[in-house]
Formats: sequence, C-alpha cells, structure tokens
Amino acid sequence: MKFRELRLKGQLAMSFDSEPMDAAFDRRQFIRASAMAAAAAVAGITGPALPILGDESLTGVNWEKAPCRFCGTGCHVQVGVQGGKVVAVAGDRNAEVNKGLLCVKGYHVGAALYGKDRLRKPLLRDGNSYREISWETAISTIADRIQAAPDRFAFYGSGQWTIPEGYAVQKFMKGGLSNNHIDPNARLCMASAVTGFLATYGVDEPAGCYDDLDACDVLIMWGNNPAEMHPVLFSRVIDRRSRGENVLLIDIGTRRTRTTEACQHYLEMKGHGDLAIANGIAHLLIKNGTWSRKFVDQFCSFKAPDDANPNLHGKAITFEDYKALLEPYTPEHVEALSGVSADKIRMLADLFGNPSLKITSLWCMGMNQHTRGTAINSMVHGIHLLSGHFGSPGNAPTSLTGQPSACGTVREVGTLSHALPGGMVVTDAQNRAKAEELWRLPPGRIQETPGHHTVKMWESFCTPTDKGGDISTIWVQVTNPGQTLPNLNKLFNPKGDNKAGLEDKFLIVSDVYPTATTRLADLILPSAMWVEKNGMVGNSERRTQQWFRMVDPPGEARDDCWQTIAVARELFNRGVEGMKDRDGQFLFDIKNGDGAPVPIWEWEHYYDTNVDEHLFEEYRQFTRFKHKDLAPYGEYVKARGLRWPVVESDGQWQETRFRFAEGFDPYVAEGKEIQFYHSSTHDDRAQIWFHPWIAPAELPDNDYPFMLSTGRVLEHWHTGSMTRRIPELSRAMPGAYAEMHPDDAAVYRLRNADRIRVESRRGSLIIPVWIDGRGKPPKGTLFIPFFDETLLVNDLTLDAVDPFSKQPDYKKAAVRISKVPS
Amino acid sequence: MTTDRTSNAALLTAFVIMSVAVAGYFTGLQAPMNSNSVDSERSPANQLTESEEPPEVGVVPATDNGVIPATDYSEMVRMTAARRTPDDLASLKSSIDPLAEIRIRPEDKLMALQQRSQNRAFNGAPPTVPHPIDQQSDVSCIACHRNGAVTSSLLIPKMSHTMMANCTQCHVESEPRHLPSVVFRENLFTGLPAPTGGPRAFPGAPPQMPHTTWMRSDCMSCHGYSGRHGIRTTHPWRSNCLQCHTPSATLEQTLQHTEPQFLPGPEISNNQNNGP
Repeated sequence: MKFRELRLKGQLAMSFDSEPMDAAFDRRQFIRASAMAAAAAVAGITGPALPILGDESLTGVNWEKAPCRFCGTGCHVQVGVQGGKVVAVAGDRNAEVNKGLLCVKGYHVGAALYGKDRLRKPLLRDGNSYREISWETAISTIADRIQAAPDRFAFYGSGQWTIPEGYAVQKFMKGGLSNNHIDPNARLCMASAVTGFLATYGVDEPAGCYDDLDACDVLIMWGNNPAEMHPVLFSRVIDRRSRGENVLLIDIGTRRTRTTEACQHYLEMKGHGDLAIANGIAHLLIKNGTWSRKFVDQFCSFKAPDDANPNLHGKAITFEDYKALLEPYTPEHVEALSGVSADKIRMLADLFGNPSLKITSLWCMGMNQHTRGTAINSMVHGIHLLSGHFGSPGNAPTSLTGQPSACGTVREVGTLSHALPGGMVVTDAQNRAKAEELWRLPPGRIQETPGHHTVKMWESFCTPTDKGGDISTIWVQVTNPGQTLPNLNKLFNPKGDNKAGLEDKFLIVSDVYPTATTRLADLILPSAMWVEKNGMVGNSERRTQQWFRMVDPPGEARDDCWQTIAVARELFNRGVEGMKDRDGQFLFDIKNGDGAPVPIWEWEHYYDTNVDEHLFEEYRQFTRFKHKDLAPYGEYVKARGLRWPVVESDGQWQETRFRFAEGFDPYVAEGKEIQFYHSSTHDDRAQIWFHPWIAPAELPDNDYPFMLSTGRVLEHWHTGSMTRRIPELSRAMPGAYAEMHPDDAAVYRLRNADRIRVESRRGSLIIPVWIDGRGKPPKGTLFIPFFDETLLVNDLTLDAVDPFSKQPDYKKAAVRISKVPS
Repeated sequence: MTTDRTSNAALLTAFVIMSVAVAGYFTGLQAPMNSNSVDSERSPANQLTESEEPPEVGVVPATDNGVIPATDYSEMVRMTAARRTPDDLASLKSSIDPLAEIRIRPEDKLMALQQRSQNRAFNGAPPTVPHPIDQQSDVSCIACHRNGAVTSSLLIPKMSHTMMANCTQCHVESEPRHLPSVVFRENLFTGLPAPTGGPRAFPGAPPQMPHTTWMRSDCMSCHGYSGRHGIRTTHPWRSNCLQCHTPSATLEQTLQHTEPQFLPGPEISNNQNNGP
C-alpha cells in the first residue's frame, strides 16, 4: 500500500502545473476553434489529424516511468497518461540504459494498447467458432482439464512474463502440481547463451554491462544486427563517433545489414563459419604468443567436449592439449570453412592480441539459434579469456536478449523445465529441498525429472495420445508459438488438422490480440498488458526494473498473474492437495498489514494489495544462493532499474556493473583481482573450451539449393502482434518479403515484388521478393523476417536443436524457389 | 483500402496547397509587429497579428508516392541553357531575408501544427518520413537534413539533433515503397495533441517551452527559416532563445522532484503570544 501512495505522490509531482484558467479562456477557445476551422477549410483537410487543442492539452498529463514493453534492451520510457489513456511516450532521461533515447517501436509503444481488436472477453471454442463465456466458467474449465490429467498438463510461458507472473507459474507448476512441464519461448531465443555461460563460468548471465559500450575501442558483432534489433545500444556506440571518439566496428555476419553500413569491417561468413573463426583467432593467439599468460595462468582452465558423456562439464584438458586441438585451424583453413579471408582472421587475432585495446563482443540470435549454440557461445567467451579481454570496462563478451524479461523471468526465476528459482535445478536434491523449504512445502513435493523442453513439449502435444503424445493440455501465456515455433507443420499446425487424431488435446491461450496461436486455441483468455498491470522485468545487463499499473485494461481483460492464481485457488477449493503448503495454507496466501488474508483470487480484490511486491519479496530469498541478490521491492520503485547483485552496504543498496572483477563485484575477495566464484571446477577459474567446427544440420544441395535465414526488422517486434497494429510501424513495414541477391534474381527472372514460392522439406510459402532491400544477402541465400502472421516463414524452418541447450536453429534451412506467375 | 487512398490523396492535395501558402508567406515583409502597450485582454493566441494574403508561387507537384519526377533530357537541355543566362542567375538569390520580421496569424500556426501532426503519432513522437528513404544507410538523410533548406517547392527541416547518427532507428517511412500499403489492424490510440503555445506568466510574458529541449536543442530547426511558417519565431534577430523561454522541468525530466525545496524560514517569536 505504501508504494501506491508513493506512486500517487510521484504522479502529482510529475504533473504539469498550468496557469489557472482565466476569464478569457472561453473566448480564447472560441477564437482557436474558429481559426482552426478556417485553417482546415483553407487547406481542404479531410483526412484524420490530431485535434489541436491548445496549451491546455499539456495539463492533466501524468508522466510516470516504465520499461519499454518490447525488446531486451530495457529502455525506460516516460508514459504520459491523460483521461485514463496513454497519450504520449518520451524517452526517460534519467534511465542509464537509454539516456532519453528510444527507437521507433519504443516511441510508439503506447499505441500497442489500443488496437481495435483487443481481446475483451474469455472465449470458448464451439466447433469452428467461439462463444463468450464468463471468467468463472473459464477458470473452472482450466481446473477441470488440469484435474483430469495433472501430469499431462503443460505451461508454455515467455520471456515477456513479468518476474512475478513467471514466479507464480513456477511455484504453481513445480511446487503445486509437482509437474515440471513448464518451459518458455526463451528456449527458442537464448537457451544457448545460458549453457555458454554455465559451461564457462559455472553461473549464468553476462559479467559485463552496457557501460562497456561507452568504453570499448573495438566492438565485434557476431551474427548480430543491433542497428535494427537493439537500436538504442547501437546508437550508444556510433554516437560516440559524433563526439569525435574512435570506435572500430566489426560485423561478422551472413548478410549485409544497416549495422554493416556503420562498420569499418564486414566479414561475410557461411553458416557455422563463426565456429571456425573463433578457433582461428585462438590458434593465432597461441601461435603468435599474444595470448595472456597471466590471465590464463591465474584465472582459467581448459575444457573439451566429452563425447562419451556429453554434458556442460566436458573433460579437463591441458594447455598443450588445447594447443594441439587448435593446430588445424590455420587462417587458410578457417577461410575455407567460413568464407572469411585469412587476412581478416589475422586482423581479428591481432586485435585480440593487443592488450591495450578494449574489446567488447556482442551477439544475439546469430550465435544462439545455432545447432552448435553452446559451443560458439563458450568459444567467444574463450577467446576473451585467452586474450585477457575480460573484467575491465570495455572488455567483455556480452550476449543480448530479445525479450524484456528473458533474463529476469526465465533465467533468474528459472521458468525452464529443469530449473528452480535463483539458478537452482530440479535434478539436485539439495536444491529441491531449499525450494521446498522456502515455499513451505512438504519434502518430496518437487519432482526430480526435468519436464519437456519447448520442442519436445509441442511435439508431444501434436502427437496423438495413443501414439505416445503425453501432453494433452497446454496453457500459453504472453507468447505466440503458432508463429514462432520452428517447423510449424510438425510442432503446431497439426492441432488444427481434424484428421490428426488430436481431438482430446486442449489449447489454452492468454493473450491481448488474436494471433496465429489463438487461431487454434480452444480457450482464449483476454489479458492485461504492460502499464495496464503492475510489473517487474530483467533486461540483458542484469538490470531488474519495476513499474506500476497506470491505466485500466479493456473489457474484461485481466492480469496473467491473476489468471494463474485464480486457477490455483479453484483447485485449492476443490481440495487439490498440491495447492496447499505443509500447513494447509493456500500456496498464494497473502495477508494485509493487519494479518488478514486478502482474497487476491477474486479480481475485485486483486489490487487491494500489491501482489507483485508480495511475490517479489518471496522470490528475492532465492536470489542469494547464486549471488544474484536482488534488493527490496521499494528500491526498484525509486530506481530506473538496478543491476544485480544488489548488495546493501552502509545502508545503501549498491548495484554491480562488472561481475567477478575486484572493485566492482562485492563478492570478489580482496586481492583476487578476478574471481569466478561459481566456477564449475570449484577453484575460482573459468573454463576455456575447445569445440571443433561442425557443419550445419542442413546444407543446400541440388534439390534445395538456397540457404534460408530468418530474423527480425526494426519496425516490428517479434511476431508483430503488437507492432503491426500501430499504424506508424505497420505503414513503414506492412508485410514480410524474401530478400535475395540480384544475381540469383536474374537467374530466376525476378523483379522486385514478384512472388516466389519458397519450399523446404517441411513446408512452403508464397512471398514477394525484395532485391537489395533492407538487407543484402549473398548469392545462394535468402532472408525472410518472421513478423508477418500471414506469411509464416516457420512453416519452412528446421526443428533440429543444440544438444545441450535444446534451442533450435532458425538461421539455416535448405530451400528451393520458383517464380509464381502473376 | 479505397478510403485510405482517398484520404491520402486529400492529404497530398492539402499539403500542396499549404506549401503554396507557406512559401508565399516568406516573400512578404510585414509592418512592425506590436506597440509597447500591453493589452491585458489579449490572450496568447490573439497577440499574433494579421498578415496580408500571400502571393502565389509555382510549385512542382509531387507524384502519388511523393517523388518529384525526373526531368527528361530534352527539358534538361532547355533548362541548362536557361540557367546560363545572367538574368536567371539573379533569380537564384534567396527571396528570404533571414532577419526580416515574421508575422504570424493564428490560423498560420494552426496550419503548421496540423501539418506537423500529419506524420506524428502524438506530440513528441518522432516524425515519420514523407518521402522514400535509402533502406540501408543514413548518409542520404544527412545530405539534406544536416542544414535544412527551403526551395520553391520543398521545405527540408533541419536536424535538431546532429549528434545522433542512426536516423532510421526512430524515423521510418510514412508509406511503404517496397510493398503495397496496408494498415494491418485499426488502432484506437489517440495521441496527445500539440499545444498552440507554452504557458505564460501573464499576457505579454515570454511563453515557457511547451516541449522538451531533448533532441530539440537547435531551436532554429523548427522555429528558424527552414521551419514551418506558422511556428517560426517572430523575432529571428534574437539568437539566445533560452534567455527568455525557459524549459519545463517536468518535460525536461531533469529533476526527480519538481517541487522546489527551501531552507526553513526564520523562526519568528512573538513574546506576547507565547503560551505558558
């Protein structure tokens, strides 16, 4: 409650105090109105335009902070609310992440709430149509499905879940239903980044932060197009040049993009070329004697994969073993494997071999959506460690996330099939016991076996029960798997096929708009979004952020977290044992200041208390185990996010900019300089991995001669369910297209906007061609963005996954094309 | 779709007509703006003075997609020859006196605001780009917008944030050029409208800025000669704008607390009123 007051006070302080209205007001209004009418008449304006009111339009606008709804950068915006609606958005100048700047999506994020077709009522499938039902019916329908087969129920969540939303589902599933079938869309996005961090440092998430971008001399982007995907971070680097600073930008990629245009070097590689390039750099560092003997001797050990027992520990090797394994990766051999010239490999090795340069590496989907994602993530960490480019401002290997809380909710709360909050895992008996203790559960409640990862979960859902499909109900929240899963014809589309034998399967979808996923849903629940609810998220640089509800959701839309708690309560009322803690109390029992329980499962009472604050304070206890300490809720109310570990010292909560580095990280012992205190070898050392180059899972051949890559565009965020309803963004980028090289277009006699049929072994798609458009793919490759729900490139993609992270590769599928006569 | 087309056409027509009007205003020199008397009855809106009807100037019509058609070769020969004549050279001299006094009528300002609102989602939104862009590079943006310009047919706004190098991060095309225009789903967002002016302490007082100076640090990019007539400064000879026009602490977001804080005042004791 006290934060509500604080919030109201903040609103008052931020509101624009105008001059008092005077007697001339009415006349002034009249003059303006007539002048406006005259002007409009002169101009012959008939089209839509903003009403022009006058300076009074600035009054009554309350400005309040919130992180942007879209990507993982974690920009803060100032949200202008007037008359119960969001009417304007400004970059937050007090936010360290974006320092007052936004990208075009962020500036228009307010309009994402007001698409005309927002879902407003719970809808239950009735044959080929839906009928509106009450929330009571919806909640009891879900409870029926769960009770009928609790172990065949799965929850498919999201890196857009707020931290409390994800935490509630995590507790409901693993602690309540004793069911580990919970996995998020982030599996498709950054699972390989996680396994890369775990394999290298023994603990997840980047050591560096965005401050590195202000300090680095060299920025290497590995298969990354931040000019479009993380524009605010990209500007942060290239705007340094406007101030006269020198930054060397290097783009290692599979097609020319807007990022390339700002780079001094463009290293065009073939798919999986990055594996060879990383080995080539390490090979030369050792050969030239430019590796950092001091850093390696003090802080690192060497590892190689253990083929007999494949896991993230691998087998320990010596430096001599490592050197021998790298021996074949000469610059010339790397050129043959990657397509990048030997000279450019030498250039990279010389940069890494120069200890006076500060080098930051950035990557995102290029390295993560990769059937060797764990390997390439580990190897890029490896060359930073081998060369000592680690642990000081500007020297960092940093992976970026694509969703606002992939880090906060998925990686930290652990909403993955094998994880528990705070970096713990279900397979570890001690970890389970700790979680059971904090959740006040009877011992043995949490199951030991990991649940299904994303691809397995949907494969089981799309397999008939009598043929071993052991998932019969999936509840989807805050994501759109009908568009984002790879190989949709295998993993999603069968649900809509009457002959697939899936009549007993039931799909529940909570969302804000109709999507490619709700299309096949049996039960659709209307959700509140962004500033229609309280929330907390965690961005790519370990920064935990908080905001308050500012406007009401439309119709009967309600918070996702309330939906989860309401179902849990329904099961509790029906006597389901799992919904009780060891004392018989409800799992989500919340008491107000007087010790009286608050019935938060009743929507009218959900905002009687701050549920987020209660859940967060409970969750916060878990964050100590792996030194990912979070501060009390109130600290986040005051801040524009804080980077963990946030540790109290001298009565102040201090954030941490650079982990494992003395002077920055409070958990590094004095005199240690660098301390990897969660080392998997328990000796404070990080692991430098060798991994061999391995070919992609699918390569072009005579039948399917093109390599297809997918990705995103500046204007649309992921599946476009929000951004495509914003006119400014939709008009700039109305639909998907296939980028191709002009020479290939000439062979197929194609011109811009001609339609082609693109076919893979898994599906086909008819799509217009854009030659030399936004990006320039090299000969023999195609690029299709995935934002368009009417042109689903994931009908074509491959569902092969990385062996450790189980993350699919969306960047390499063999396809063929043919011209479609117009 | 068809209604969209119709309204687009209407907007284009409106734009052309307004361009004529705006360009016309630049040519007329106006009488001195105001007397010294402060009329307490006057509101900020009607402090603006009347101007004469603008004379017509020639305008090259834009095509449907906003592109000015290329001159064909025969025409080019004729124009090149024409350009060589000394008379024509004289006509290249700008008709704009940058120090001339500007007079603005209320409807001029409303028209300028209306024009601005055509490619902004709300007051403060980055404008969308009303012409084709280079999809891959920002170099072409800088070429024209670094300094801005006014020609007989075009008004090219000057960048007000030259320290930023990634133009397309915020400014996207108003209309797609590579694919047919389709607004995917209707949106009911209603943006904050632009104010006609900032608040004044009293009639005649300099108005406070009704917008942030963040990324609008060069006042002249909108209020100078390459800005729209209706929002140009009426006193371009003064160059220290912030001397009189203060920013708003709220909109600047420079302060966490907008209420000024003071030391406690002197404690005044009055012996007679002191209680026991």
